Amino acid sequence: MKKPRISPETLLVLERFFADPTAWRYGYDLSRETGLKSGTLYPILMRLEKYLLLEAQWVATEEGVPPRHTYRLTPTGLEMAKTVRAEARPRSLVREPAFGNG
Amino acid sequence: MLDVQIRQAATTLLDSAIRIAPSPTREWGHALRGELNYVEGSWAGTMWALGGASVMVKQAIVSLVVPSRAGHDMIPDGGLFARNPHVRRAALALGGACVLAALLFFGAPPFRQAFQVAMQPWLVMYRAATGNLQPGIAALARRAEKQHDAQGLAFCAVRARDAGEGARLAEEAVHLDATLTWVYAIIALAHPGFAHAGTWMGKLERWDPQNGLISLIQAETIVRTRFPHGVWAPPNPAADQAWSEAMAQAFAAPKFDDYFDKFTALNRQVVPRYRFYDPYEVESRWDAGLPDPVTAGCERFAILWIRAGQGLEAQGDLRGAREKYWAVARFGQLIDSQAHSQFERRNGAYLQSLAYRPLEALAKRQGDSAQATLFGYLAEKFNPLKDAPTGESAFGHFTSKRNAAVVEISGLMILVFSGLVLVAAFILIAGSRRGAEAGAQRDKPVATFVALTGALGMLFSAVTLYLTYRPYWYIFQSSVVNGERAQSLDLYELLNSAQMPPGVSPHGFMTLMEALVYSGSPGFLFYVWGGVTLLGVIGLILILLRHFLGRPHAHAP
Repeated sequence: MKKPRISPETLLVLERFFADPTAWRYGYDLSRETGLKSGTLYPILMRLEKYLLLEAQWVATEEGVPPRHTYRLTPTGLEMAKTVRAEARPRSLVREPAFGNG
Repeated sequence: MLDVQIRQAATTLLDSAIRIAPSPTREWGHALRGELNYVEGSWAGTMWALGGASVMVKQAIVSLVVPSRAGHDMIPDGGLFARNPHVRRAALALGGACVLAALLFFGAPPFRQAFQVAMQPWLVMYRAATGNLQPGIAALARRAEKQHDAQGLAFCAVRARDAGEGARLAEEAVHLDATLTWVYAIIALAHPGFAHAGTWMGKLERWDPQNGLISLIQAETIVRTRFPHGVWAPPNPAADQAWSEAMAQAFAAPKFDDYFDKFTALNRQVVPRYRFYDPYEVESRWDAGLPDPVTAGCERFAILWIRAGQGLEAQGDLRGAREKYWAVARFGQLIDSQAHSQFERRNGAYLQSLAYRPLEALAKRQGDSAQATLFGYLAEKFNPLKDAPTGESAFGHFTSKRNAAVVEISGLMILVFSGLVLVAAFILIAGSRRGAEAGAQRDKPVATFVALTGALGMLFSAVTLYLTYRPYWYIFQSSVVNGERAQSLDLYELLNSAQMPPGVSPHGFMTLMEALVYSGSPGFLFYVWGGVTLLGVIGLILILLRHFLGRPHAHAP
């Protein structure tokens, strides 16, 4: 299957999902946790959903308030997140001495 | 209270953005909208809405250019103008108003002149191809002949590029009004070596006997006989003698008049009478002053005269030497005193500077220190190097050149956008005849988008053209009506630059690298504007291709 381009921001989002893979998450919560603005976060979510790495559903809230969209990794998304994290970690380890304190 | 209003504004913004988004994206817009209720703080909410709106707008634009996999997101309600027929009608009304406003500009004479200037490079090519180089002058000459208007005929005579036609019109004009005899001098100067001009010299001498200009024309005619086909003929002492005598007569003349005042007075009468506003014909080359060969002849003779004076000085004939020097200085003063252009002024200053130095040396030799100081001061004052063009004008009056590029590109853009509007109008009209067919319904949003873009571009280009050229129209007017020449050089520079297609310098096509080196130059402007325009046109073509090639095909049941 074709993989989406994994930018540092996408990786950040995947990290948040990976922290609790089975949990449904709201967009605003993801925005606060990752520090990404809505204009950056939502194109990432849209892309992940397009590649079937993410599933979305509407959740009804209190009456008179519009429902909320929630997101969760699909099994494919979870595998992908694992792979991407594994690939990203060695690179970051190599980089660390150059930019770290030691 | 303010918080509520800010949040309402943010909600409205996001709702509006969702409306223009393509249908597959709208769900995400509603997701953003849903989350907005949970964003804490009005400022944070606004930023959230702005970010979401930017996503929706980006998707709307992308959906116009890149075909979606489904290929049907424009139907039945996708796209910027397809969702709501009222929006589409409003867009078409706005486009129509823009086109009308752009066309109304053509009612204004400054705009018509500006458009003509913008089209000049292409008009020149067209006229050269058809062999009709001066259609405006030819038409005006016919009218003047019909009305027996001597001034109209003289106006055309001095501008005719064909010397024979100019001579014919001039003869007719002078026949009707003898006070126009001066036009012979203008034609003789404009067409050096024109054989028929020899028959006018006697008439000119009788009409204006003291004018040094007539002798200068005679001298130039003699020079032309020395190299009739551009090749210098063998030495001819008789011709040299005749040339020297004619030049000496010019230098000794009590007055010098290049007839520029008469020329501008003729413009003032003829231009409004015939409403002839072609700036290229009205502001003809004569405005720049005496032709170069005549100026060069004056300078050559002045140097010969100074050398002759120095020869006399060496022989001890100080009085004879002084007369030679003074003859040069006086002629320089005459030219300077009636100069109408910086070229003439520089020519007069140069002749004076040539003479004042030897006069200074002669005064010193005679022990007259006061006179020596005076001549030294005058030599310095009329030093032509002091009046040398500054860096800016050496580059060619940069502002006018840049404005020429803006005028040319704006004019071209009016044509390009008009073409887009016509194509879109054709699609819309064809679509309306096809009624409720799916294809026709699909065409409407794209055609509306193209029509609106074309109309806005047309109006923008028209406004740019008008505002850029407007100051030059006033220069043209004050030049024609009042004979005010203060800024005529700017107009001259603009007209001169606008004769070349945009991006082309008089020395050839300016490469992109040259344009970048001289960033801010007309070439740079051309490439920047040209690039932006090209991208816009490519974008529109992509939209059209996407639309017509990506339309859904009928499937078998």
